[in-house]
Amino acid sequence: MSVGYAFSFPEEKRAARERARKLSWLSVVLLLFASVFIGLTVGQSQAMKTAWVSDVLTAIPPIALIVALRYELRAPSERFPNGYVRAVSVAFLVTASVLSLIGIYLLYDSVMKLVRREHPPIGTIELFGQQLWLGWAMIAALFFSMCMGLLLGKLKEPVAEELHSKALQAESEMNRAEWMSEGAAILGILLVAFGFWWGDAAAAAFISLEIVRDGWHNVRQVIGDMMDESPTQLGKRDLEDLPRLLRDAARRLPWVEDAGVRLREHGHTVTGEVFVVPHEEPAMDTARLLDEIDRAAAELGKLDWRLHGLLIIPVRELEEAIPPRVRRGNGGPGEEDGGGEPAHMAGAAAEQ
Amino acid sequence: MLLLLVAACGLPRDPEGTLKHVRGGTMRVGMAIDTPWVTDSAGGAGGIEGAIVRDLARRTGSRVEWERGTAADVLDALKERDVDLVIAGLTAESPYGAKVAFTRPYYTDTTMVRGERREEQHVVAVSPGENAWQVEVEELLRAKRGEFPALRHARPR
Repeated sequence: MSVGYAFSFPEEKRAARERARKLSWLSVVLLLFASVFIGLTVGQSQAMKTAWVSDVLTAIPPIALIVALRYELRAPSERFPNGYVRAVSVAFLVTASVLSLIGIYLLYDSVMKLVRREHPPIGTIELFGQQLWLGWAMIAALFFSMCMGLLLGKLKEPVAEELHSKALQAESEMNRAEWMSEGAAILGILLVAFGFWWGDAAAAAFISLEIVRDGWHNVRQVIGDMMDESPTQLGKRDLEDLPRLLRDAARRLPWVEDAGVRLREHGHTVTGEVFVVPHEEPAMDTARLLDEIDRAAAELGKLDWRLHGLLIIPVRELEEAIPPRVRRGNGGPGEEDGGGEPAHMAGAAAEQ
Repeated sequence: MLLLLVAACGLPRDPEGTLKHVRGGTMRVGMAIDTPWVTDSAGGAGGIEGAIVRDLARRTGSRVEWERGTAADVLDALKERDVDLVIAGLTAESPYGAKVAFTRPYYTDTTMVRGERREEQHVVAVSPGENAWQVEVEELLRAKRGEFPALRHARPR
């Protein structure tokens, strides 16, 4: 095997990847349009300002994804021997931090406007020779932006699922959550129209909370990535079954006595180690062992298309078969710890 | 269609009801002299912005109550809602714009300052958040926009 080789998407996933790239471009263009419309009508409304920022912010993840998609397939280099597949995680980190910080600032800004009882002045605008209250133009711009978000979210969802792309999934969720922001802003402007000055700042506070929530969601995911979290299900916190499947598959190999697996997500790929304990009898010579390892690597790699750079490591013994504990669902004590392993191992051994 | 519907409901409305008390009542105007925009005249203001106030009073059927002071004084009074409108030769760049509500520029003045062309967007100020009132003032400014160049150039600086 070579020390480093580039990841390549399987044939059947390439179309989806191309779609992801096109959707990202479409997002950037549409969100840019929406933010220009909102920007033109922003006036002195806090809700509009927040909605505008939120719109511009939602354009960052697709840009990051476009950049990441360019880099992730690059072959490993001397400087980056592990390749560039984690570029997507970097993109994620940037987005998540920016989102959270700006969200917190906007929240502070909006709450202060409420505390200081600032009344938002909204004047008139001239459109096609007609003079009308700017508030109505604001609502139209927000409505446009709302439709864009819903459309983009809907388009991205199936592609994210096919690519098992967390970045795209998060984007899709973010786009769809936008309708709440824009809906809140519309409500805020309507409240102002009816003479309730606090509607504007209250809507802005709600939108900033949404931005912070988005950011926090992404920060948590990125921290998971950095901590080499075991693969998680798309859009959920639940762990995937893949490490267990891989371990069981390794244990079913005729020359393997016991196996343990350690997996982590690298961008769109999944990588990790398979520790195997060969049977003591009959003893294998080195050439035979190397053959078996090569064959096992090829075979185990077929379990999931995302598996890349899987290492098979022969060891004398395993103190603990990884994954030692498999947690299902959100928290909860429903855990199966290392103590339960021998029974499982016996079952796997009996299958041979 | 939609606009008619909206106009019928009387939207937007003022949180503090400024337009309601101005209409057929009293319009409290803060003024600071800034020739030729606001000039001193018997019993009130003259100049270009003085003319705006006169037309606004006619349009709303209200009596004008004048409050004189420096621009800072009358703008503070506007912020505290002790007056409803301020004329002081203000331009859109004035830092007070964040504290009160400036109307849309009603006139763009071109001046030469040390051989450099400068464009200044002139505005008047209304109490912040009184959106029905602001719409009323801006509608008048728009209706009058044809008259401003003549007014500006009739009075040499």
